[in-house]
Amino acid sequence: MDIQGDSAEPWETAAALVRAAQGGDALAMDELLTLVTPYVTWLCRPIAPHDVPDAVQDSLLAVFKGLRTLRDPLAFYGWVRTVTVREAVRVARRTAVEEPADPADLARLGELRPGTDGELPSDVRDVLARLPVQHRAVLVLRELEGLDEAAVAELLGVPTGTVKSRLHRARSSFRKAWSR
Amino acid sequence: MSNDPDPVRRLRVLAAGLHAGMYREERIPLPYERVWAVAADLSAELPHLVPFLHAFQVPAGDADRKQARAVARSGLREDFEVRLAPGWCLMQSRLIVGGMAAVPEDGGTRFAVLGATRPTALRPVQWLYGHLLGGRRGRAFVGRVTERARLR
Repeated sequence: MDIQGDSAEPWETAAALVRAAQGGDALAMDELLTLVTPYVTWLCRPIAPHDVPDAVQDSLLAVFKGLRTLRDPLAFYGWVRTVTVREAVRVARRTAVEEPADPADLARLGELRPGTDGELPSDVRDVLARLPVQHRAVLVLRELEGLDEAAVAELLGVPTGTVKSRLHRARSSFRKAWSR
Repeated sequence: MSNDPDPVRRLRVLAAGLHAGMYREERIPLPYERVWAVAADLSAELPHLVPFLHAFQVPAGDADRKQARAVARSGLREDFEVRLAPGWCLMQSRLIVGGMAAVPEDGGTRFAVLGATRPTALRPVQWLYGHLLGGRRGRAFVGRVTERARLR
């Protein structure tokens, strides 16, 4: 099965593959796996920087195991995001010692970017490494994915107030580190 | 280090997605090259590896996408689409899916095999294949791959 047209939007390409994969087409499922792996990796890297391969693998397992339950194939990417963030947070929490995230990934965190060169000072990296996993997840969804606070709250299954306070604390930790 | 899943991890994801009746993953204490030489030689080796298979006809050449025809000992014929790459083989007909994957691991090989039936109206055939592919078949398959690789 070959549905990768040049003109199709990513979610349309994915939707066609999702429908075929839901019908048990293994070749379509294989193509869908190739298509979605970079996105899953991109989400996992800042949330579980020390366990990227495991976070990616567990996310992909959960995504494909649950594929049959996805009712709207056009909603595939949003659903993948939900599943991936949940799995990445779970994997990151297993690690006793949290390691700093890759500076290149951190630099992508939109408005938290310190300068135009994309380099983060080591003390900022240290601050980020000390953030609880859930705070990192909030930062990724808010700053990387551009979701509003209500959407982040729904995705993580916490009240909006919790998202607000985590975001506030995460941002103020960064500001303190930068202003020193 | 690449974060992309290696072929074995990839096959594990497909097994979960297909709710495969048969999936087996084992370490074979032989070099990857020898093990994969067996797995990739579909027309010569597959009939040795799958008990009910009489022949598996694949066109020669290095193409990564091929059409193949399986002939069962019963005489039943089934056409397959085949995807072949280093450490990766995925085969699909109207009724069944088969897959093999391998990666080098500490001087040996991590090898995985998958067998699944496709949703179909042909329930009795599906039951038959399910029976043939299920349970202990996975372990036996990996055992035969190991035997064939030792002979090389």
